[in-house]
Amino acid sequence: MYIIQGLQCRNCGRSYTLSPTHICEFCFGGLDVVYDYSKVGHTFTLKALENRPYNIWRYKELLPIEKEPVCGFNVGFTPLLRARRLERLLGIKEIYIKNDAVNHPTLSFKDRVVAVAISKAVEFGYDVISCASTGNLANSVAALAASCGLKSYVFIPWDLEAGKVLGTLIYGAHLIRVKGTYDDVNRLCSEIAENFEWAFVNINIRPFYAEGSKTFGFEIAEQMNFKLPKHIVVPMGGGSLITKIWKAFKELQTLGFIDAIETKMHGAQAEGANPIVSAYKQGRKTIKPVKPNTIAKSLAIGNPADGAYALQTIRESGGTAEDVTDDEILEGIKMLAREEGIFTETAGGVTVAVTRKLKEQGVIGEDDSVVIAITGNGLKTQEVVRNNMGEPTVIEPNLKDFEKIYCTVI
Amino acid sequence: MVTVKIPGPLRKLTGGKDLIQLEGVVTVKDALEKLIETYPELEDRLKDERGLLREFINIFVNNEDIRFLNELDTELKDQDHIILVPAIAGGQGKRRVKLYFPPDKVKEPVIYNLGHMFKIVTNIRKANVDEDFGWVSLEVEGSDEEFSKAIEYLKKLGIRVEPIEGDILI
Repeated sequence: MYIIQGLQCRNCGRSYTLSPTHICEFCFGGLDVVYDYSKVGHTFTLKALENRPYNIWRYKELLPIEKEPVCGFNVGFTPLLRARRLERLLGIKEIYIKNDAVNHPTLSFKDRVVAVAISKAVEFGYDVISCASTGNLANSVAALAASCGLKSYVFIPWDLEAGKVLGTLIYGAHLIRVKGTYDDVNRLCSEIAENFEWAFVNINIRPFYAEGSKTFGFEIAEQMNFKLPKHIVVPMGGGSLITKIWKAFKELQTLGFIDAIETKMHGAQAEGANPIVSAYKQGRKTIKPVKPNTIAKSLAIGNPADGAYALQTIRESGGTAEDVTDDEILEGIKMLAREEGIFTETAGGVTVAVTRKLKEQGVIGEDDSVVIAITGNGLKTQEVVRNNMGEPTVIEPNLKDFEKIYCTVI
Repeated sequence: MVTVKIPGPLRKLTGGKDLIQLEGVVTVKDALEKLIETYPELEDRLKDERGLLREFINIFVNNEDIRFLNELDTELKDQDHIILVPAIAGGQGKRRVKLYFPPDKVKEPVIYNLGHMFKIVTNIRKANVDEDFGWVSLEVEGSDEEFSKAIEYLKKLGIRVEPIEGDILI
């Protein structure tokens, strides 16, 4: 395709040709993919969308791939469901759950970005895929690399949940546990990336990888018939997703699919890893790193790569940034499970709990519409809720035993 | 003696060397100065126009981010290992915003005030001001913090502020 023009520094505006690179050689700003939107419109129309398969590649003109993609044909188009019981509980007129807890194949939104990153990496001629990850990305890189017959090397912090460790090893990935936090892993990987000819999806392939997150926004827009909600609550780890949902809306507006964007983008973090929220609350534009300490390990990033851009998005949209405690996160997980039958991981607990908090603060009004981003699956982070659930009742296999406990215990 | 690890994009300025050894430096700041003294071409890559360290470079001493230590004044000891890591994040130097003035603000010297109340440089790129309504496309240069304050000030005055996208300035 001829639509992608190249890469451009988000800081100084210098242009670069399409290559596996993520930082401006001059000022070290992050690079972003530039499209020629006048050409996108030739083939990307409502009519064309009607006949395309329901996966992320239905938006291919707005994704940074030049050849045919190599994976991701079942990734995306996850349910956007109306959460009527949660609406009643929180006192909000319209709540929708964008449920990437059931994204294919590894049950998190990371399958979107990885499908794009691997397709691009193969275009660039790489045969080893790698990443620094808090877990979900690890699972996705391992699975999608395996499905393309590519080798993967995955680097994770020391204290990751067992489900995410096993959920990487099963695909035959080389898994390396680094004695440190995600930020240590990330720094180490940026050194490794310089010495090895690998496609690090969130380092040298980052500009392309990050574009995959836009599909989360495209889908919300399309599933709501291109009438955007008043609020979206998005979890922030590295801060990329919120900026890319916003970019998706802007692109749809540029292409005439949406008239006005009145959606407020709200960023949600755990109190124990809240560098973006504290920058927002203190009115800063730059991020001061923190040492993460939270049960929300998928968001436990103290030095977020796209933190400053996330802040920019939040402010530009008129949204807010808010954090919640670990207890509130657990409450959020339980609330979504018990009201809507959806078991999300800790990051989803964060967005549900922040939505409740924003309603209490009056930021979200009772007549408003809200989309809550659920980006991962609770089965991967069982240990955080296990101690919170109590134990099942044990009986002998006879009726009397059951009747006895039915009258007393249950 | 301390060692500095040079990131890939800068190695062409150090003759391809990735590890540079420095003698007689007491702080991280000294180390950077000494590095620039040895490889003068590094200066405008490590520092911005104001002579400050570029905000997208993260510096680690023995794997610890200096923002958790004593920033550039972090003291060094023999055998310390400094790593320069280009961050993949940051703010923006120049931004463009479009301001929409309501009737009662059209006659006020708002943009003049901006330059005097905040440490920012404003530059009008396009404008259309009538008797009772007007808009101005403004280029703003300054720190993130001052820029935010300026925008807050404008919003308080009842002026609508919209960022201009896809119009990147070099």
